[in-house]
Amino acid sequence: MKFLPFILKHLRRNWIRTTSTVLAMGLCIFLFCTLQSVLAAVDSLLASTSASRLITRHSVSLVFSLPFSYAGRIQSVPGVKRVATTSWFGGSLPAKKEGKTEATGEEAATTDWSNFFQNMAVDAEPYLAMYPEYEIPPEQYKAFMGDLRGALIGRKLANKFGWKVGDTFFLESFIPPYRKADGPFEFVVQAIYDADPVKHASTDTSAMFFHHRYLYEATGRRLAGAGTYNVEIEDPDKAGEVSRAIDALFENSDAQTRTETEKAFAAGFISMAGNLALLLNGIGLAVAFTILLVTANTMSMAVRERRTEIAVLKTLGFNSAQVMGLVVAEAVFLGLLGGIVGIGGSQGIMWMLTHAPGIKDALAGIGITDLNLKPFVAVVGFGVALFLGFAAGFVPALGAYRSRITDMLRTV
Amino acid sequence: MTTSMVDVREVRKVYRRDSQEIPVLDGLNLTVPEGAFVALMGPSGSGKTTLLNLIAGIDRPTSGQVVVAGTDVAKLSESDLAKWRSQSVGFIFQFYNLIPVLSATENVELPLLLTRLSKKERRERATTALKVVGLADRAHHYPRQLSGGQEQRVAIARAIVGDPKVLVADEPTGDLDAKSAEEILALMESLNRDFKKTIVMVTHDPRAAERAHTQHHLEKGILKD
Repeated sequence: MKFLPFILKHLRRNWIRTTSTVLAMGLCIFLFCTLQSVLAAVDSLLASTSASRLITRHSVSLVFSLPFSYAGRIQSVPGVKRVATTSWFGGSLPAKKEGKTEATGEEAATTDWSNFFQNMAVDAEPYLAMYPEYEIPPEQYKAFMGDLRGALIGRKLANKFGWKVGDTFFLESFIPPYRKADGPFEFVVQAIYDADPVKHASTDTSAMFFHHRYLYEATGRRLAGAGTYNVEIEDPDKAGEVSRAIDALFENSDAQTRTETEKAFAAGFISMAGNLALLLNGIGLAVAFTILLVTANTMSMAVRERRTEIAVLKTLGFNSAQVMGLVVAEAVFLGLLGGIVGIGGSQGIMWMLTHAPGIKDALAGIGITDLNLKPFVAVVGFGVALFLGFAAGFVPALGAYRSRITDMLRTV
Repeated sequence: MTTSMVDVREVRKVYRRDSQEIPVLDGLNLTVPEGAFVALMGPSGSGKTTLLNLIAGIDRPTSGQVVVAGTDVAKLSESDLAKWRSQSVGFIFQFYNLIPVLSATENVELPLLLTRLSKKERRERATTALKVVGLADRAHHYPRQLSGGQEQRVAIARAIVGDPKVLVADEPTGDLDAKSAEEILALMESLNRDFKKTIVMVTHDPRAAERAHTQHHLEKGILKD
């Protein structure tokens, strides 16, 4: 510790260089932590999926719906246990009440997009049967099933809005076919679901489900079909076989299907079916390597500038290991500062992403509600920062270790 | 009988550049008694600084023996030699070589970081050393805020703060004006006289050499007198 002031004074010697190095290091750690947190959020989303569940959607795009008649035909495919009609509602909390005329102009602008959350119209009975991770008290389940306007909401969502069973709220979809002439949809909270924090830690409890029949009836039975079909199969090992059989069934129809596992669907839904992890890790690695070179160069310059001082230190009695330690400590301290800046920056951007209305809504809409800097990622990021500092300082420090006093004094 | 503080016996020092061997010291013998003030003189390339470096333990002879304060310097390991330097020798450079980011006190305190002394004790000793060289009022000044003479006095304070037995000085007045040089030489005389420090000084300046008790002349690596 007695050498710390000595190290700090050296870092202050060329504060522009020190600041730029710390910022470069901070940028590296910022990117690392942010990219890893995004990956963790995506992994969390994908981890909540099951291998025994398939999703059937329109082969062209999710934007196109599939005829309601498909449900029965999918059910007839060997290996299929149950089928649930599902439509992503895209509803958000409006400021106006049920009973008013359709929102136009100023009224339409009163929709509260800042509180967007994932809400789905589902064929509740088969849907909930294939999602046993949603834990619903039996009496609430019964009440939900018995109320067309009933809403099943996750615990996190209930806590966010302070909703409890019996509360009423309104949602208005931004998808034109899902809007009704007389105003927003009214819902009554009939059930709140939880998920086992140990067994199903990645299960999202910030979503809301309601009866698909309500959507169908309230829109004047004008709906031509469902967004997707959730399919539970008997044997997860036969997912590929069953998927192909379902798609083959509609091969010659106007609305061809694409069936895939829930995990593949989720990955595709968030446009990350490609090698996202590889891409993000690749970017992180490239940046880290670049910063390593920059910092190593900075430390080499710093040591080169101080050849005489290193010779003086050795003359005064500092041994080679102590001199090497001072140089490495200085580099590690740069890493430490960079780590603090990077982790702080990453925490800041996460906060912004999860609080900025537009971005937060977009993330919530695709199911990413848990985007934050995980302690593990922060610890690893901090470790990377210290390692980068160490690695950058090691070679120049080794030079200082090996240098002979007389050689260094001669170059004055 | 006076005991010797520095005993250089049959020392050879050869530098190698590629395959070429350049002899700098050739079978040199020198004895410096305890409490002496010795000046080493000679033309450039005569081996003065090399000899001084060997005495200070910052270089090793190719052959021969360098015994300083009873220790055969050449036989010490790298880390033992560093420890020995911190305890036995104070080095005064021509260009002072103070650390620019440290104040005068911090520069003087630097060698004491290697000891077990507390911060308070280190600070007290540094302050005392600065008083000895007459710079107590410049304790918090940085090297850039000091004149050349003052910088050299801080460097001398740094050299004596560990209370070494021997002081070696490599042209300590070489970068100073006449007045500052005179002050530095007076200070070195005082350290020799009042604090009984053995001093070995390399100089080109005959006036500086005159302040020493003994003068030795080197030429082509051989001691002439």
